[in-house]
Amino acid sequence: MSIRLYVLRRLVLIIPLLIGLTLLTFIISRVLPGDPVGLAAGPQATAEIKEALRREFGLDQPLPAQYLNYLTGVVRGDWGESLYSRRSVIADISTYFPATLELTITAIAIAAALGVPAGVISALYRNKLPDQITRVLALFFVSFPAFWLAMIFQLIFGLELGWFPVGRRFAAIETPPAAITGMYVLDSLLHLDFESMRMALSHLFVPALVLSFGSLASITRITRASMLEALDKDYVRMERAIGIPNRVIVTKYVLRNAMIATITIISLEFGWLLAGAVLVETIFDFPGMGLYAVESSLRLDFQPIMGITLIYGVVFSLINILTDVVYGILDPRIRYG
Amino acid sequence: MAEHSRETPSQDSSTVTLGSARWENIRRAAYRFRANPLAMIGLITLVVILVIAIAAPLVVPFPEDAAGKVHPTARLRAPNEVNYFGTDNVGRDIFSRVLMGTGLALMVGVVIIFLATTIGVTIGALAGYFGGWTDEILMRLTDIFLTVPALVLAIAVTAALGKGILNVMIGISLVWWPGFARMTRGLVLSLKEEPFVEAARGLGGGHLRVLFRHILPNALSPIIVKMSTDFGFAVLTAAALGFIGLGAQPPMPEWGAMINEGRDYFPTQWWVATFPGMAIFLVVFSWNLLGDGLRDVLDPRSRR
Repeated sequence: MSIRLYVLRRLVLIIPLLIGLTLLTFIISRVLPGDPVGLAAGPQATAEIKEALRREFGLDQPLPAQYLNYLTGVVRGDWGESLYSRRSVIADISTYFPATLELTITAIAIAAALGVPAGVISALYRNKLPDQITRVLALFFVSFPAFWLAMIFQLIFGLELGWFPVGRRFAAIETPPAAITGMYVLDSLLHLDFESMRMALSHLFVPALVLSFGSLASITRITRASMLEALDKDYVRMERAIGIPNRVIVTKYVLRNAMIATITIISLEFGWLLAGAVLVETIFDFPGMGLYAVESSLRLDFQPIMGITLIYGVVFSLINILTDVVYGILDPRIRYG
Repeated sequence: MAEHSRETPSQDSSTVTLGSARWENIRRAAYRFRANPLAMIGLITLVVILVIAIAAPLVVPFPEDAAGKVHPTARLRAPNEVNYFGTDNVGRDIFSRVLMGTGLALMVGVVIIFLATTIGVTIGALAGYFGGWTDEILMRLTDIFLTVPALVLAIAVTAALGKGILNVMIGISLVWWPGFARMTRGLVLSLKEEPFVEAARGLGGGHLRVLFRHILPNALSPIIVKMSTDFGFAVLTAAALGFIGLGAQPPMPEWGAMINEGRDYFPTQWWVATFPGMAIFLVVFSWNLLGDGLRDVLDPRSRR
């Protein structure tokens, strides 16, 4: 089966999954024991106002009809609007998602830059001191509550050292680059505006560093394990026997084979960090999906909650497909089927 | 005659061998575990933490502060010889509250892992054993839950159920089981082809008996490893929901919620948020050390 056909088949297969997910989010939103309409209408609202709101949001209809309305809306690109701000959910998501995406990309880049060399060192010094130290450090960093570490880093990097700004995506008095992708770093690069790029990056660095810690342990562990496996192969023994220098064997042959598993785990971790961003964004007042999710959930604003869950489902599924495709490209032995 | 005399005792000796082989395995595993200094540090720290959790109500200087007693005249005191970790914005002793929160944090972790394992193992085992439509339906259900990252789904579910520590536990368990389900299904799939399963069936064992008495006990090691590595992350997730404000409500001494309260006073009154965070870290870190050690001991694939 060609890659194109394989991707197409996988894409078709996520449709029933996503329909299932809409059903799940719908059930979640309808078991809300609170009174979201009352909350949105405010304390002075009369019964008539609440009734009108309920009618407006279609909450007076029978549940199957409500679900069908929701589902057709989702397909048409109308994901409802917030009870609270009256803004369209899809519009909010398209503003907030690029911010989170940018944060996550930076974080995974940092995690890979730290985790892969750590895993390689660990494997080359198997069971010796450098190996032990790396493994402990990886477990150490992954054990911090991200939201707490974010506060501590704000204090250290922002207030004590003054190296980085510690909040928001951009200086409040400056205008961010005109949106093309909504990701400030990429947009400023496309505008060749390097001053803005520097500013966007400096805002990104500390939150991304905190976020990256969540993936350090697994990237290190998988890199170590796959390095060890590759080092054990017959071809390595053969290369040693014919006198190829160890440095060449490791960088040219072993690393390349070990990277297959590592790249797979990196792309899976990317999906998890996208979710982990929720906690980091809250601390850094970073206007992304996380802040949006937290605010909506505290207000029982169910339309955004449904939308956020759904968009995470879509992105997560796409990442999984992408992972499998990349895996197949890296390892030609794998046949799509 | 000689053959006959050998037959009867051999049955006996084979059961003895089987029993002692299992014992031998446990003994070896314990040896490997003891030889792993990090896992031992994790285990010892956890025992200390458990002792703290049990003894806290008896030994902390201000146990009533954990229940929400306020001291308006002692607000935001820096750590001193009376309040080792300082006091919070309503004058409660943070040392007492952090220690009293230990039991709560451990209990939350235990409940989440217990519920998630029970749901996940049952669903995965049924799917793997019966196959066919049962498998199809249960696994598609699992897939739906796996489509969304656990944290996001946990936030949605907990928000829907309503704020509170009980709902946090329910919410996180409801999104945590799919990992166990998928793993158990895989284990059961490979185990059900083994001859001992056929033997148990042939001896007249019913499906559920074969599944739960013969197959699952053989799938236990990977499940235990996953339980122990997941425990720390369950504690972390629960604290995160507490921090967001969906979890334990004041004055409950839940660490995540305490960090949230301390946020407004950070960094000037750094102690309010710092100590609960260190407590979370200690619990999670020691569990991760223990889980890593257990993986080395029980999972032969990672034993290198």
